[in-house]
Amino acid sequence: MLIRLSGGRVIDPANGRDGIGDVWIRDDRIVESPQGESPDAVYDVTGKIVMAGAIDIHSHIAGGNVNTARLLLPEFHRAHRPRPPETPLSTAGWSTFETGCRYAAMGFTMVVEPAVMPHHALHAHLELADVPIIDKATLSVLGNDDFLLSLIRDGAGPAAIADYTAATLDATKGLGVKCINAGAAMAFKHNVRSFALDDVVPDYDVSSRTIVETLQQAVMDLGLAHPLHLHTNNLGLGGNVESAIATIEAARGKPLHLAHLQFYSYGAEGKRGFSSAAARLAEAVNSNPNVTVDVGQVMFRQTVTISLDIVRQYSAIDTASPKKTVIFDGDTNGAGIVPFNYRSNNFYNAVQWAAGLELFLLTNDPMRVFFTTDHPNGAPYTTYPDLFALIMSREERAKKLAELPEAAVELTTLPSITREYTFNEIAIMTRVAPAKILGLPDRGHLGPGALADVAVYNDDRDRAAMFRSAHLVFKDGDLVVREGRVTHYRFGRALKVNPSYDKTMDRKLKTYYDDLYGISPDLFKVPAAALGRENPFGEVACGR
Amino acid sequence: MKVLVDGATASLETAAAAAARLLGEARLPLVAGLGTDVEGARAAISLAEKLRGAYDHMHSEILLRDIDVLRQAGQFVTTANETRVRADCVLLIGDDLTSVWPDLAARLNLTSPARFDDYNEPRKVFWLGPGKGEAASVGATEIAAPRSELPSLLAALRAEVAGRKIHKDSPLVRKIVEVAPALKAARFGVMIWSGESIGRLTIEMIHGLLLDLNKETRFSGLPVSSRANAMGVAQASGWMTGFPMRTGFCRGYPEHDIWRFEAGRLVESGEADAALWVSSYGNEAPKWKRHIPLIAIATPGTRFAYPPKIKIEVGTPGIDHDGVEFAQNLGSLASRDAQKPSEAPQAAAVLRLIEENLKKGEGAC
Repeated sequence: MLIRLSGGRVIDPANGRDGIGDVWIRDDRIVESPQGESPDAVYDVTGKIVMAGAIDIHSHIAGGNVNTARLLLPEFHRAHRPRPPETPLSTAGWSTFETGCRYAAMGFTMVVEPAVMPHHALHAHLELADVPIIDKATLSVLGNDDFLLSLIRDGAGPAAIADYTAATLDATKGLGVKCINAGAAMAFKHNVRSFALDDVVPDYDVSSRTIVETLQQAVMDLGLAHPLHLHTNNLGLGGNVESAIATIEAARGKPLHLAHLQFYSYGAEGKRGFSSAAARLAEAVNSNPNVTVDVGQVMFRQTVTISLDIVRQYSAIDTASPKKTVIFDGDTNGAGIVPFNYRSNNFYNAVQWAAGLELFLLTNDPMRVFFTTDHPNGAPYTTYPDLFALIMSREERAKKLAELPEAAVELTTLPSITREYTFNEIAIMTRVAPAKILGLPDRGHLGPGALADVAVYNDDRDRAAMFRSAHLVFKDGDLVVREGRVTHYRFGRALKVNPSYDKTMDRKLKTYYDDLYGISPDLFKVPAAALGRENPFGEVACGR
Repeated sequence: MKVLVDGATASLETAAAAAARLLGEARLPLVAGLGTDVEGARAAISLAEKLRGAYDHMHSEILLRDIDVLRQAGQFVTTANETRVRADCVLLIGDDLTSVWPDLAARLNLTSPARFDDYNEPRKVFWLGPGKGEAASVGATEIAAPRSELPSLLAALRAEVAGRKIHKDSPLVRKIVEVAPALKAARFGVMIWSGESIGRLTIEMIHGLLLDLNKETRFSGLPVSSRANAMGVAQASGWMTGFPMRTGFCRGYPEHDIWRFEAGRLVESGEADAALWVSSYGNEAPKWKRHIPLIAIATPGTRFAYPPKIKIEVGTPGIDHDGVEFAQNLGSLASRDAQKPSEAPQAAAVLRLIEENLKKGEGAC
C-alpha cells in the first residue's frame, strides 16, 4: 500500500523540515517520494499541519492502582453515548478502550505508563493489551524493594545491582526504570511520615540519595536509552524547590529524568509559605544539560491522584475530594489514591497552574522539557489540547490569569512571560524529544524509514480544537482516525528492552523469594501468551 | 468434553452458532456465572457488550461488599506477602476465612515471628469470631463471637482505640477491648476479613479503625477475596467498562447498578429472556427458579435445575489450560500454568466463537 499525503505543511524538526510538501507512506514506513509509481491512495492535506505521531512519556493509563481508582470513583466516569459500531467500549468512560481512542484522536501514537510495581506487571500489561491503536511501554519501579536495599546495604556492588535491575526489567517487560520517593515507601512501613533526600531507610541504613545514585548507575551500566526516571522527595510541599535543586545536584552531571517537576517548583514566600519558584528551577534545568524533565501541569478540574509515593498520598488524605482514599501497603512498594479537585479560585492550585506554565516557558530547550500533566495527577490527558493552547498563546494565558486570585498570581512570574511555543517547538517537545529519550530512532520524525505514525491537524486558530480532533491519524501506515474519530481498532505493542545479565541472579532471586515469601518469583511473570493479543511486545535495543 | 444442543451431541461450531442465534434474538440477554479466568472475563464482557446485554458474577454479592465500602469510604490494604514478612500483630475477623482461603495459614506463617519485624518477637495474633478450629490453625488467641455480634464488637474496639467512653457491660465487649492496647502497640499490624462472613457496615467499621490506628502507628487490611475468580473478573470489568460486574449495555454504553443488573433479579422478574452461564471452576449452576433459555459453558458434571438448551463443557483454568486469575496468595493477577494440560476447550475461546457467530451490527435491545 502506497499512500501520499499531499500538500500539507510538514513539520519534522528531526529532519530540519518545516514547509509545504508531501509525505509518502509504504505499508508501515515513511518512504522517499517514489519515482514513476502512482500511489494507491492520495490524501489532499493542503492547509493542514503534518507531524509524526506524538509520544507521551509519563501518563498513568494502566495497572492495578489505576483500576482501583476506577472502582473508587464510579460517579466520575459514566458513559453518556453509545459506541460507534466498529469500536466496542470506546465511549465507556475511563476504560482502556476509551484511553486508546482519545489519545489517538489527539494524534498520539505511543504512551508510557511510568509506574509499574514489579509484582503487578502482569496486570498492567493486561490492561495495556486492551488499549487499542497506540503503542505502549512501561517503566518498572525499583527503589523501595527489600532486595535492592539489601544489595546496597551489603555492598553487593554495581554489577550485581545492574543484574538485578536487568532481571526485573526482563520479568516485568519494562522499557526503563522508575524510582519513586526512593526509600520512602519502605520507611513508611516503619512508621516514618516524611522522607527527604538524605533521610535513611530504617533497617537498611541507606539514604534516598544513595538509592537514586545506585539506580542511576545501574541504568547507565545496562546502556538503557531512558535515564533513571525519578519522582523525587517532598512532592507538593511549600519550599520544596530546594529538594528539586538538591536532586539535580545529586545527579552529578549524569543523565537523570525528573518527573512532574511542577510539583516540586514551590518556594516558601508569601504569608501562606507557598509561592512559585519555577523560574529558579527552570534556570537550574537550563544549566544542567544532563537533566530532562516533564512538567506535570495542573489544570483546573476534578481529577484523582494516583501515586506510588505512599508517604505523600497518606499525608494528603485530608485534602481528598470527594472524601475517600485508598492507601496500599504493597509488596516492596506502596501506593495511594486520593481524589482531588483543582480549583481556579484556590490560592495553592492557582500557584501550581502558573508554576507549571512557567516551567514550560522558561525552560529553553524543548528537547529537555516534556509535555505531561502526570495524568491523572495534575489533570487528565484529555486536557492536553487546552494546555497546547496555553503554551502557544500569551493571550490565552492572560485570559485565564485574569480569573485567578491576585495573591497567587503575584507570587509567580507568569504574567511577565511573553514566549509562545511554535509548531516546530511543539513537534520537538512531543515527538522528537520523546523518541530520543526512549531510544526509538524510528519514531518522532517523518524521514524515510520512520514508522508511519503520522498525525495531520487542521490549522485551526483555536489550537485546542486543532489538537483535540486530528484531521487524520495513521498508525503503522493504517488510517485509524478521521476528524477525531477512530474508525476501527488495531492493537499496538508494548515496547520493552531485553538487557543481558548474569543469570545467576535468577537463582539468587529464587532462593531469596523462597526463603522470604515461600514462593517462586516466577509466579509474577508476564507471559506473552497470557495477554490475548498477537505479538504484544516489541523489543528496543539497549547497550547490552 | 461434551457439546450438546437440545440434548443431542453437536459440534462446537454448531453449538456456538445456535448460542449466538438464541442470544442475538433475546430482548435482554444475560451473561452470568462468570466463573472464569481473566481471558474468559474479557471475552464474556465483550460478548455482553455486543449483545447489549448485562453481566454478573455468581459471587458478586460477596465481592461488592468490599467494593461498596471502597467507593463509599475508601480502602486501607496490604498483601499476603507483606503480612507474612512484616506483621507483628494480626487481627483476623469472622469465620470461614480458611475455607475461602485454604492457604491462609501456610502463606501467612503467623506462628513464626515476622522476618522484617525489628524486634523479632512472636506475633500477637487474635481471631474475633473464628469458625471451629480456625484460631488454633494460625496460633491465634480466640475471641469467640457470633457473626451477628461482630459489628457492635468492632464498634466497641474502635471506640476503645480512639479513647472514647463505652459501656463494658457485656463480657464480649470486655474481651474485645482488651485487644486495643496490642493494636495500638503494633509496629505493622494487619486485619484480615472476608465479605463472606461480614457485611458492608462491618467492613466500613474496620476501615475506620485502620484509619484511626494509622494516626499513631502502622496498620493495614487484608481482605480475603471471594471464590471463582470474582476479583479477577472485577478487575477486567473495571478496565473494560470502568465498573465492576452487575453492569449492562442496554443503552449502548455501560451502566452499573448492583440492583438492576443482579442476575437472579433479572431472571426472576422476567427482564432477562435468555442466559449464558459460565462456570469453569466448580460445578456451579444458576440458582434462579424461572426457566429461561439457558446456554451453559461449564465444567463436566455440572448439574442444572433444568436442562440447558445448549451445553458446552470446558476445562478449568490452571488445570486444563494456563489462565490468569486474581491470586489471593499474591495479592495480584497472576498467570497459573496448567497442572494437567488437556484438550478441553477454554471458556474464552467458546465465548469468542459465539461472538464471531453473532450477526455484524447492533445487538438485541
